[in-house]
Amino acid sequence: MRNIAKRFGATQALEDVSLSLYPGQIHALVGENGAGKSTLIKVMTGVYRPDRGEFLLSGKPVTLSSAADAQQHGIAAIYQEPLLFPDLNVAENVFISHQNRGVMTGWGQMFRQAEEIFAALGVALDVRKPARGLTLAAQQSVEIAKAISLHVRVLIMDEPTASLSAHEVAQLFKLVKDLRDRGVAILFVSHRLEEVFEIADVVTVFRDGRLISTRPRRDVTPKLAIADMVGREVLVQPRKPAARGDLLLSVRSLGREGVFQDVSFDVHRGEVLGFAGLIGAGRTDVGLALFGIEPATAGSIVFKGKTEVIRSPRHAMACGIAYVSEDRRQLGLSLPQSIFANITLPVLRRYLNRMGLLRTAMERETAESYRKRLTIRTPSVDLPVNKLSGGNQQKVMLAKWLNTHPALLILDEPTRGIDVGAKEEVHAMVGKLAEEGIGIILISSDLPEVLAMSDRVLVMREGRQMAILDKKDATQEAVMTEAMGQQGAVH
Amino acid sequence: MKALALLKSWEGLLLFLLIVIVGLSFENSPVYMGVGNIVNLFQLEIEKIIVALAMTLLIINGEIDLSVASVMGLAACVVAWMFHHGVSMPLAMLAALVAGAVAGLFNGFWVAYVGLPSLAVTLAGLIGYRGIARILVEDRSYGGYPAWFNAIGQHPQFGPLTVSIIVFAILFVVTAVVLHLSGFGRLVYVMGNNLQAARYSGIRVRPIKMSLFVASSTVSALAGILYATRLGSVRGDMAQGFELDIITMVLLGGVSIFGGSGNLAGVGLSILAILNLRNGMGLANITGNTQTSVIGALLILSVLVPNTVDMIRNKWKGRTT
Amino acid sequence: MNWLQRNIRPEQIREFSLLLLIVVAITIFSALIPNYFVPRTFDRIASSVAIIAVAAVGQTLVVLTRNIDLSVGSLIGCSAYFAGTMAGLDKGLPPIVVVLIAVALGVAGGIVNGLIVTLGRVPSIIVTLGTLAIYRGFLVDLSGAKTVTTDSLPKWIVDLPHASVFSLGKLDFTVSIVLTLVIVAIFQFAITRMNYGRRFYAIGSNPDAAQLIGMPLRSTVFTTFVLSGALAGLAGFLTLARYGNITVDNGRGLELQVVAAVVVGGVNIFGGSGTVVGAMLGAVLIGTLEQSLYRLDISEFWRDALLGLLILLAVASDAVILERLRALWSRTELKLIDKPPPQVGAVGGSPP
Repeated sequence: MRNIAKRFGATQALEDVSLSLYPGQIHALVGENGAGKSTLIKVMTGVYRPDRGEFLLSGKPVTLSSAADAQQHGIAAIYQEPLLFPDLNVAENVFISHQNRGVMTGWGQMFRQAEEIFAALGVALDVRKPARGLTLAAQQSVEIAKAISLHVRVLIMDEPTASLSAHEVAQLFKLVKDLRDRGVAILFVSHRLEEVFEIADVVTVFRDGRLISTRPRRDVTPKLAIADMVGREVLVQPRKPAARGDLLLSVRSLGREGVFQDVSFDVHRGEVLGFAGLIGAGRTDVGLALFGIEPATAGSIVFKGKTEVIRSPRHAMACGIAYVSEDRRQLGLSLPQSIFANITLPVLRRYLNRMGLLRTAMERETAESYRKRLTIRTPSVDLPVNKLSGGNQQKVMLAKWLNTHPALLILDEPTRGIDVGAKEEVHAMVGKLAEEGIGIILISSDLPEVLAMSDRVLVMREGRQMAILDKKDATQEAVMTEAMGQQGAVH
Repeated sequence: MKALALLKSWEGLLLFLLIVIVGLSFENSPVYMGVGNIVNLFQLEIEKIIVALAMTLLIINGEIDLSVASVMGLAACVVAWMFHHGVSMPLAMLAALVAGAVAGLFNGFWVAYVGLPSLAVTLAGLIGYRGIARILVEDRSYGGYPAWFNAIGQHPQFGPLTVSIIVFAILFVVTAVVLHLSGFGRLVYVMGNNLQAARYSGIRVRPIKMSLFVASSTVSALAGILYATRLGSVRGDMAQGFELDIITMVLLGGVSIFGGSGNLAGVGLSILAILNLRNGMGLANITGNTQTSVIGALLILSVLVPNTVDMIRNKWKGRTT
Repeated sequence: MNWLQRNIRPEQIREFSLLLLIVVAITIFSALIPNYFVPRTFDRIASSVAIIAVAAVGQTLVVLTRNIDLSVGSLIGCSAYFAGTMAGLDKGLPPIVVVLIAVALGVAGGIVNGLIVTLGRVPSIIVTLGTLAIYRGFLVDLSGAKTVTTDSLPKWIVDLPHASVFSLGKLDFTVSIVLTLVIVAIFQFAITRMNYGRRFYAIGSNPDAAQLIGMPLRSTVFTTFVLSGALAGLAGFLTLARYGNITVDNGRGLELQVVAAVVVGGVNIFGGSGTVVGAMLGAVLIGTLEQSLYRLDISEFWRDALLGLLILLAVASDAVILERLRALWSRTELKLIDKPPPQVGAVGGSPP
C-alpha cells in the first residue's frame, strides 16, 4: 500500500500542517476563505516551496521544484476552471501535456486510447470534437481523463463542483469514486458541506493556516465541522447601531439569468446590511446588478421611492449608488495615475471649467480633504497610486466613491488584503458613514467583520438567498450553516 | 530635483539625442539653424507630423490606426477626382474631409462597438481605402489645380511660414491642451491604462474610442489634402508607407504601445529628432529607402530598449521572469 | 449536426465553403466572360496564386501563434532580386543553389524577426513593420538600384514557368504549381500530424495553459518566424522565375495580399485555428476574383478595395457569426454510461 504524507509549515499561510493521504481514499479538506487551502495545494503541486517541513511520497522524502516535477511524481490537480485548449479536440487535450510523445501525432492511437479511458470511466464523450463545445462538467471529465492518462497517484480537486448543476455533480462524483476504487489518493477541497459528506472518507478542517482536525467521515457532523472552521476570537469592534432612517432601497425577486435568482431585501438610510456567503455565492453579482455593470434580468429595484431599471453605471451613479469593487488592482484603480486623478474620475465633469479643461487645483483640494478624512498615508496627493500600500489604495478607492456623494454605498470586500490598522480605520469610517445617513451594503468574506459591522446579515448560497438574520441571531455558526448548507444530500 | 528626474527620463534622453543630431548637422552646415532652414525642415514631413498628433491620442488610448496613410491618399484622390469632374475646389476639399470622417466612423464602429481588434480592422482599412483611392484615380496622375491651391502648399503664406506649418502649430497646441489639460485627455489615459476600471467608473468608453478614430482619420484626410497642395499633383500611391514614420514618431516619443502613458512633449522631441535625422541623412546623400530603413530600426528600438532595460532591472532586483 | 461535428474539423467547414465560393465564382465568370475555360486562364491564375500561396503557408504558421509577419513582401523582393543577381552572374550555378540562396535570405530575415519578438518581447506588429522597411532598404542599398533583367538570367529560370511537370487534360501543371501543392501538403501534414506542429495550435489557443504544461513558447514562436521567412524566400524564387525582370521595388505591398489570403482562408487572427490548406484556398479565391474581374474590364484598381473588404468580412465573421454558431451548436454535456467493473490498480493506458 502506498502511503503519502506531508509535514510542513510555511510561515503565515500555513503553520505546521501535517496531512496524510492514502491510496483508495477520498480525503476532504474544508475551511473558510483564506484558511490556507490554496496554499497547501500550491505546495503539493510544486508551485510553492515550503519553508519548513517535509514531503514524503510512499515513505520516501521528495522535493518538488516545479509543476512538471509534480506531474512526474504522479501528482495532478483539477481546478474549478479547467485548463483546456478550446480549439483542439478532446483526445488531444487529454494527451497534450505528456512529455516524450515522439514526433508523430498518432491520431488513430490517440483517439483509441482516449476512447478507452472514457469508456473505462463510464463517460460517453466524442473524443473528436473540439473542447470548446463542452459544458463545464464535461470539461472536468476531460481533466480527469488527463489525470488518468498520466498515471496519477495523488489527485487534488480544488472546488471542482463550484459551477456545476446538481445532476452534473452527481455524475462527477461517480467518476471520482471510480478513481478512488482504482487506488488513487484523492484530496477533495470544497465549500459545499453536503457534497463533502457524501463523498469523503476522511474530513480535515483548516483554519487560519493551521490544521484543526482530521476525522474519519463517520465521526464528523456538519455542526462539528463548522465549529472547527469558525471557532476564533472576534477581533472586530462591534459597531454602535445608528438610528435607522427611511427606506432607501427595496429589491424584490432580483435575478440575473444563470448567476443568481430571487433575491429580495431592503436597505434603510443609516443601516448596514451585511452580505455573507462563500466565494461564488453570488454576492458580488448582486452588487454588480445594482450598479448596472451586469444588469439584472428579472425582478425590481425601487430606489428612493422610484422604480429604476439600472442598466449602466452612469444610471446607477445618477441615482446615487456607488460600488467599491473587490479587485482594486484590476477593476478599481488606474494604478500609474495620481491619487487625485483616481479620486475624481467618476465625477470628472465636476472638475472641468466651461472649456472642458481640468481644474486641477480643485481636484487636489478634494483629494486633500479625503486624505484627512480617511487618513490616507501619503506624502502628497500627486503620488501615483501604485506607490501606496494596499490599505491606502483601498482608502483611495473609498474616497473615489464617497466623492460621488452616494446615498447607497456597496462595499465589496473592503478590507481584503490590508493591514489591521487600516482595517480598523475602514471600519470606523463605515460606522461614521452610517451615522451620516448613508445606506451601506457590506459584502465580505470576513465573518467577524460582517457580524460586527452589520445591523442585519443576508446570507447567500449558490446564487440564492438563504436568510436574512437580525444582529441578535447572527452568530458565526448560524451564518456558516446557511452559507454552506447541510440539509439534504446531492440529488 | 525635478530637473534631475527630467534628465533621467525618456524625454531627457530624447533631448540629448536631439542635441547630438543638431550639433552634427550644424557642424556640417552653419546655416542649419537659420529660420529658412528650420522651415524647410518642417516642410519635409509636415503632413506626417500633423497625423502623428492624432495618432498619439489613439495609441495612448491603447489602440492603433494603420490606415492613416491610405486615408491621406484617399482624401487627396477624392479632391483630384471631384475637381476633375467639375466640382469646385473648396467643395472637393470639403468632400475629402468628409470622406476621412466617414473612414474614421467605419474604423471606430468595428473597433469600439463590435469589439474587433484595431490591428485587424485598420489593416483592412489600409488596404481598402487605398483601393478606393485607386478606383478613383487609377494609375494616372492628376494635376492642373488652381494656382491658389498649389500656393497653399508650395509658397509661404504667413511670412516665412506655410499654411501647413500653421496648421501643425495650431493642432499641436490643441492636442497639448486636450491631452494634458482637459477632462477628455484624462479619460483617454485612463482607458489606455485600465479599460475595465474606466468602465467600472461609469466612463462611456465607446463614444470616446469612436471619436478618437474619427479624429485620426479626419486629420489624416486634412494632411492628405495639404500633401496634394504641396506636390501639385495626385497619384493613387501617394503617401504610401507613411504610417511607418508616423507610428515611429509617436513610439520614439516615449508613448507606450500598450497604452496609458506618454506625453506630447516627448512626441514633440521625437518629431524634431526624426526631422533632423531625415534632413541630415538627406544632406549626406543617403537615399530615401535607406532613410526609411533607419526609421524602421528606430521603431523597433523604441520598444526594444525600454523592454531590455526593464528586464535587466528586474534581474538585478533578483526577481525571476 | 452531430455527424458534422464529429467527423469534420471546424476548419474544414471554412475550407469547404471557400471551395464552394471558388466554384461559384468560376461558374459566374465563365458565363460572363467568353473563352473563360481555357488553359490560359488556369495558367494565369495559378502562377500568380502560387507566389502568394507559398508565402501564405508561412504566414499561417505565424498567425496560428497569435503573431503577424508584415516583412514578407520585402523578403520576397530581396530573395528574388539577389537570387536573380547571383544566377545572372554565374550562369552555371546549379538550380538548387539558386533556390537555396533565395530561401537562405528569407531565413536570415526570419531569424532577426524571431529574435526580436521572442527575446526582445517586442510585439510582432512593431517588429515586422520595422523590418519591412529595413529589409527593403537593405535591398535598395546593396543592389545599387539596378534591375535584374530577364536577359541576364540563365535559360532554365526563364523556361521554368512553362515547364510542366504533368498535364491533366489540357491543363498544364507547371513547376510552380506543383511546388506550391507540395509545400502546402508538407506543412498541412506537419501541423496536423506532427506533435511539433500541434504546438502552434496550442500556443495560439491558450498560451497560458501552454506555458503551464511546459511548452517552450519562445523557441516555437521563433521557429514560426524562421519558417515564414524561408517560405517567403521560396516565394521570392518563384517570383524570379515568373517575372524575370526584378526591380528593387519588387514585392512591395505583397504582405497585405498574403495576410488577406490567410485571413480569408479561415486562419483566425487570434490564433489557434485555421490550416494552410485554407490559406491556399484563400489565395486561390482572391487570385481568381482578381484575374477574372480584370478580364471583365473592371479595373484592377478594384482589387485593393475588394481585398480590404474581404479581410474585414473575414475577421468580423470569425468573431461574430461563429460565436453565434457555436452557441446554436448544442453544448456537449457530460453523459455517463454503464461500464465494465474497474480492476484495482489499473489506471489508464500508456501515452502514445
